[in-house]
Amino acid sequence: MTTEFWLFVIVGVVAVVSAVMMLLSENAVHSALFLIVVMGCIAFLFLMLNAPFLAMVQIAVYAGAIMVLFLFVIMLLGAERLGGKTPFRWMTPGAMVLALLFLVVVGLGLGAGPIAEFSPPPPNPQVRVAHFAAEAGAVDLRVSGVVIEEGLEFGDAVGYLSFPAGDYEFALVDPETEAVVIAQNVTLEPGFVGTAIAYAEGDQPLLAIVPESLEATDERSGRLTVFNAYGDALAVSLVDFGSEFDPNDTQVIIGDIALGTASETAEFAEGTDLRTWAFIEAGNENNVLVRLNNEEVFRVRRGESTLVVLGQEPRLAGVSRAVALPLVAPAAPSFGSPADVGKLLFSRYMLPMQAVAILLLVAMVGAIVLTHRPKPSAALVRARMGRRRVSRPLTSVIAAQVGQEVTGPGSRPELPEPADEAAGN
Amino acid sequence: MVQTDAYVMLSMVLFILGAMGVLLRRNAILVFMSVELMLNAANLALVAFARQWGSSDGHLFVFFVITVAAAEVAVGLALIVAIFRTKRSINIDELNQLEG
Repeated sequence: MTTEFWLFVIVGVVAVVSAVMMLLSENAVHSALFLIVVMGCIAFLFLMLNAPFLAMVQIAVYAGAIMVLFLFVIMLLGAERLGGKTPFRWMTPGAMVLALLFLVVVGLGLGAGPIAEFSPPPPNPQVRVAHFAAEAGAVDLRVSGVVIEEGLEFGDAVGYLSFPAGDYEFALVDPETEAVVIAQNVTLEPGFVGTAIAYAEGDQPLLAIVPESLEATDERSGRLTVFNAYGDALAVSLVDFGSEFDPNDTQVIIGDIALGTASETAEFAEGTDLRTWAFIEAGNENNVLVRLNNEEVFRVRRGESTLVVLGQEPRLAGVSRAVALPLVAPAAPSFGSPADVGKLLFSRYMLPMQAVAILLLVAMVGAIVLTHRPKPSAALVRARMGRRRVSRPLTSVIAAQVGQEVTGPGSRPELPEPADEAAGN
Repeated sequence: MVQTDAYVMLSMVLFILGAMGVLLRRNAILVFMSVELMLNAANLALVAFARQWGSSDGHLFVFFVITVAAAEVAVGLALIVAIFRTKRSINIDELNQLEG
């Protein structure tokens, strides 16, 4: 048994014992405090279940706001020991039998098969296509005969396309002559995510499928993969020249990427300075192909998966130069994080969220209306005020008729004890 | 990793304790607290299944349950306060007539 299991057992036992104590304690304040312990335990279990956001919401809203409201009302009503005995004696055994029946039913359900064997179906495969075949010019992308994108220029990329799993033919076709530049059959497995990159080896255009990962990155880091589509059939390396840009003092970041292959995926800290990085011919620091010194284009941002493609851009008169282009895709936010919950909340669950917001508003108004004590009517107020006002002149009128002070010299009429307040509420 | 079964089992036990509180206790505030306990037990099961399926939708449901519970508590406690004002009691067995 692992530590995690024992932690679960301890927290679970604390939760159950607190729940039982909550039911048994005579004092309602004690019950509320035990309920707070249960909520804290459940928040801890949320943390163990990869739901940090919900754990914090649980603490703040349940153990904080809601329980304070409970304690406040208990104090307000003085309801610590209210309740008393029930006239329905048969309810206790009845509830016990019902609870046991429920336990048996759910136990049978759980015993029917381990829940762990169920797992979600993998999502549909996703593929994006990038055009780095230097000689081909503008092409149309066809997948199994269906035109997906027209006029794809060198360096263009088509964003992720989602297909049902199966066999597809990816073809790049010259739009004018209808000549097929590249055609390749690809089998897409369920759950596959990748990029199809068209590149040229010499004069031969080829299509490479680079599998990618869009899973959550490490905290505060971005993912970087390099693909070599540089047509001169060189192996290339990504090196850091350092701030001095000294060819004799370099550090290889990713070494020896052969033509048509992708490097291993590496994760770099957010904000890593890429200005001193450059692609070189592998092992030859003097042959710098292209530098990554454009901060606007090359940067490592958290939660992003970047595929840098080194290609050979055709220039006029048969001359070509090396270019590096990043294909950036957002990686999935880590499971259960605030970003993950927020993303769903503001996309798929927008309407329920609005409905819940209106419900909260209605509840707020409802609570105010319910606890609102209506003011006494204007006539009643006037009657009370009037009675009080005549009391003084009346004594002076009597005093004038009798000829002496009714209340006696120096003695002021004593106020009656405020009976209402002494009784309390 | 603790099995989902264990979490479902624990959530079921808490749910039953909450249900028994609703049935057995006579103090309306305690009945309310037991309802909260039942909601929490359901939340625990939802989060456990969300991890099982690797989908965050369960988390969203829990989020909504917590929000609705907050609204429910506000209205419910206001009702209890209003009832206490007229009847001087919150024993739910004594609240057996509709007139105030």
